[in-house]
Amino acid sequence: MDASKVDMFIMSNSKFFESYQLNSIRDRLVAMDDSKWVMISTQQYKDPTTSLIVSIIAGGLGIDRFMIGDTGLGIGKLLTCGGFGIWTIIDWFLIQGATREKNMQKLQQFL
Amino acid sequence: MFGNKQSLYLLLSLACLAGYAWLIIHLYQEQTQQQARAFGTCLMKQTTGIPCPSCGSTRAIVALTQGNVSEAMLLNPLGFIIALVLIILPIWLGYDKLRNSESLYQFYRHTEKTLRQPKWAIPLSLLVILNWIWNIYKDV
Repeated sequence: MDASKVDMFIMSNSKFFESYQLNSIRDRLVAMDDSKWVMISTQQYKDPTTSLIVSIIAGGLGIDRFMIGDTGLGIGKLLTCGGFGIWTIIDWFLIQGATREKNMQKLQQFL
Repeated sequence: MFGNKQSLYLLLSLACLAGYAWLIIHLYQEQTQQQARAFGTCLMKQTTGIPCPSCGSTRAIVALTQGNVSEAMLLNPLGFIIALVLIILPIWLGYDKLRNSESLYQFYRHTEKTLRQPKWAIPLSLLVILNWIWNIYKDV
């Protein structure tokens, strides 16, 4: 695929992925077929900052986990008062990374 | 984060152990129960004074072990679900470990996918919210 297109994609979407993943994403996008560009460029990603805000406000009810698609963990958090409050606090630090991992999984379907 | 099978099984085993430890502490020490009520284990209840959707489920399970089904129902119906999970999970984990199968993992993935569909997600969240309103109303 055209390198300038890929660079544009990386620039506008870099906050959705872990920094160490960006290089490999770029390499694989450059090597990829042009026909998948439409699908990749229109893909919606979850914003890590939004999930952090949700985690701080409603993390005790597991809503942050529900939001990024970890339904099972969300139910676990909901049923245990946010893991007795400990898991809630741990998730304030983990949720951004978890969101980026989920975004990577979403992109991986096309790579 | 919990994408692969091993980490999910590890997490579920740890959660199960923690759940049983928590239950045993509450079953054998009446004092802890009183302390827990005084200080509160729930972060939300401590900070805002409003009980969370699952407040009272420990007391519900303790009531269940003493045979008071109606008392458990009145405290928090979610206690039944937690009790069921606590009974089934170790058996299923052990079965998968012995048979070297991944039926629990597949069930987990399948349930996650099903629950994400609106026809399940909306009624279930409504139920949780109703239960929460009831919790606040009776001030567990």
